[in-house]
Amino acid sequence: MSGIELQGAGVRLGDTEVLRDVTLSLDARTIAVIGENGSGKSTLGRLLSGLVPATAGTVRVLGLDPVRQAAELRRRVAVIFSNPDAQIIMPTVAEDVGFSLRTEKLPRAEKAERVTAALEEFGLADLADRSSHDLSGGQKQLLALCGAFVRRPDLVVADEPTAYLDARNARRVADHLLADASHSGTSHRLVLVTHDLGLAERCDTAVLIQDGTVAEVGAPAQVIATYEAGIRW
Amino acid sequence: MVTLYRPGNGPWHRLRAGPKTALLLLIVLGICLLPVTWWAAAVMAGVCLACYVVPGAGLRELGRQLVTIRWVIGLTLVGQLIFLGPESAAANTTRVAVACALAALLALTTPATELLETIERAMQPLALLRIDPRRAALTLSVTLSTLPVLAGLARDVREAQRARGGGRSLRHFAMPFLVMALKHADELGDALAARGVR
Repeated sequence: MSGIELQGAGVRLGDTEVLRDVTLSLDARTIAVIGENGSGKSTLGRLLSGLVPATAGTVRVLGLDPVRQAAELRRRVAVIFSNPDAQIIMPTVAEDVGFSLRTEKLPRAEKAERVTAALEEFGLADLADRSSHDLSGGQKQLLALCGAFVRRPDLVVADEPTAYLDARNARRVADHLLADASHSGTSHRLVLVTHDLGLAERCDTAVLIQDGTVAEVGAPAQVIATYEAGIRW
Repeated sequence: MVTLYRPGNGPWHRLRAGPKTALLLLIVLGICLLPVTWWAAAVMAGVCLACYVVPGAGLRELGRQLVTIRWVIGLTLVGQLIFLGPESAAANTTRVAVACALAALLALTTPATELLETIERAMQPLALLRIDPRRAALTLSVTLSTLPVLAGLARDVREAQRARGGGRSLRHFAMPFLVMALKHADELGDALAARGVR
């Protein structure tokens, strides 16, 4: 399965060129995207998950064109955002996880089975009937992860998934995302957009984005060193 | 969706959402057709009590629901007492309270997903008017689920206002609240798209 291929890709939002001339060929299982605020790294994540279209160049994610094959991409790519409140759609925990399977053509019993298994996997089984909005920040983010993984995606794009969390919950979320053998027995690739350099270090490859373009790609330790050397305090 | 559902295994919980909605609608319709008399008020209250007394609901829950709508009950009662007298006030206020309590009974004993599916089925005729019932039901669900989030945003804005020494200015509240609400709408749209909703 091919991973991520971008050739001269760019994204323009209004008058602002947020990403320009991005050329990447990534096949690692876990990829960290780092860079300063406003550098364009979140836009890169949104581009890969098909939430914004490229206004220049070509993009292929898992061999798919995010615009022309949007439905197939949605089926295979899950997205986790930083704000867990914005990801809750249904009133109870179990129903919110089940919502992710709404468009899957599966028998009702199998959907229920998958929801139960996912809730157990993420330690949310005891909270199944609780109001989603009454959960703590960490539990909400675990719920978001659970809702993403229940679809058994091939690729997970996570944009600052630990930004709102305390150290313990951040660790739990990161461990789930970076787990080698994925939930429900399927393996997933990960694109992790993050400011947490410790987390970036745990990935297989890192991409440094500066001023809307790729500054460096390589081993996380080396890319992080370049990033830190370039920071003007 | 605002969570009212209480898990349980009583008769109301076991009844499927469609027949349950139809049954409760029929009861409410029957209550609406009763005359404006003291005995009718007693019958309405009796029917409501009978609906709640079954296992899985309970009179305590009925009490909670009536407390929740106390302002509706109070305003209706006062208005009716002033303009129509005690008998009409008692009958009409009981009618309103019972209708609200029975509507709550549906939400209390039916998971939101089942309600959503029932709404979708009920909206099927709208397809003739080129309205997608699935989308309409989802819109309703998402609208209701956003209410607690908006309440939280409003609280955050008020607290920020107080922290910066601001008064109770509506203008100073409305602008940041609107910006935050629109940002939330943007993020929710992305989350829906990410979960396969076009």
